[in-house]
Amino acid sequence: MLRKRIVGVITVKDGWAVQSMGYSRYLPLGRPEILAKNLDRWGADEIVLQCIDRSTAMAGPDIGLIERVAQKGLSTPLIYLGGIHTAQQGVAAVHAGADRIAIDAMLSDDPSHVHEIEAHLGAQAIIAALPLSVEPTGLMHRNYRTGALSALPDTLLELIRKRIVSEVMTIDWRNDGGRAFDTRILDAFPLADIPLIAFGGLAGPDQLRAVLSRKPVVAAAVGNSLNYQEHTIRHLKKALGDLPIRAPSHERRIDH
Amino acid sequence: MKRRTIGIVDYGVGNIGSLERSLSALGYRCQTTSNPDTLAASDLILLPGVGAFPTAMAALHAHDMVGFLQERAQSGQPLVGICLGMQLLADRSDEIRETSGLGIIPGYVTALENADWHIGWNTLEAASSDPLVKPSDGRVVYFNHSFVLRTSPEYVIGVARIDQGMTPFPVAIRRENTVGLQFHPEKSQTAGLQLLSDVIEGLCRAA
Repeated sequence: MLRKRIVGVITVKDGWAVQSMGYSRYLPLGRPEILAKNLDRWGADEIVLQCIDRSTAMAGPDIGLIERVAQKGLSTPLIYLGGIHTAQQGVAAVHAGADRIAIDAMLSDDPSHVHEIEAHLGAQAIIAALPLSVEPTGLMHRNYRTGALSALPDTLLELIRKRIVSEVMTIDWRNDGGRAFDTRILDAFPLADIPLIAFGGLAGPDQLRAVLSRKPVVAAAVGNSLNYQEHTIRHLKKALGDLPIRAPSHERRIDH
Repeated sequence: MKRRTIGIVDYGVGNIGSLERSLSALGYRCQTTSNPDTLAASDLILLPGVGAFPTAMAALHAHDMVGFLQERAQSGQPLVGICLGMQLLADRSDEIRETSGLGIIPGYVTALENADWHIGWNTLEAASSDPLVKPSDGRVVYFNHSFVLRTSPEYVIGVARIDQGMTPFPVAIRRENTVGLQFHPEKSQTAGLQLLSDVIEGLCRAA
């Protein structure tokens, strides 16, 4: 039976892993590759490397960083997010060591590139990353380059509906690094049967249970709180043992 | 004991670095190349793959690998296809458009039934007593695919199912010294690395 996943997120700004609060204030945590190795050792189901300063600067994906992380020899799948504007950049990110990529601005800027990436990598490798919030007018998508809020564009929904991307990362940008994830985002998402990854403000087993108990949610992505102490993922998995998640792994020895 | 050499087919598709590092961690020497002589001299050829079937087959043709891999499999040299690399072993695929495969293991590649994707960690169920996969029966490994290789039960050594009660589908296949693994052992932490070691050692001893 397919398990729901607990995903470790490393947020990177100016090349350094940071603790993010609402994508407006940041505290340095250290080198991203060291944090990735820790998450790998602690048994994360996937690792997201989220570079938050690449898209606005039109800098493209941080290929050097992906390579440095990959060189750590992770045995956990790596998802890269940040700065991918063209199909070639998406393919380059995979060649550098990412197993999957998440795209954001490209979804609105030029959907034709999304089709091109799909032809190269397959939709299973592509995740749509959507900063969302529930406002008095309903579910709103945030353009993080301008800060503007708008309803989810039809062109974007059409890409998701046609399965050009395999999963949607619903990012609660308002609660990032702070209060609990707003589960209304999941309930208000307009497309049924689309696999969702909840991210933003998630910490502790109760919050994770609240999102993972929802049928469309296939993964919960956790950022800051994983870095407060070692083996947090194992503790979370132990506390969520009644849910369909992969048991924490303790073995490291390989017998030849 | 002689240190085994794994020849990784480099045809410009996918994330080969992860495989190299996993194999090195297991103590193997890796040669990543599209040079037929180097691959033929290795103890085992590993065919990785990420992406779409037609693109990958076009890349194999462009690197003159199609006839070579067919000949190597015929000769009995151990050959392992991983993820899309497993699907390339089949006769054909209908992903995007009808495309011929390597034809090393009889079968065809088609979309999953009852699901768009099979992404994440799932249980590997041994489908035979084959010693390559049997020790990993019930272990949880990482999948990321939407197409599946349909083949005769005689070649199926491992299956998975997306939900309880759903029909299982092949995720590990074997024909003589050729093996296909639909999941990513190199991304499946200890469970995957143990299985990868079992498959390599088992095939090399059998050759």
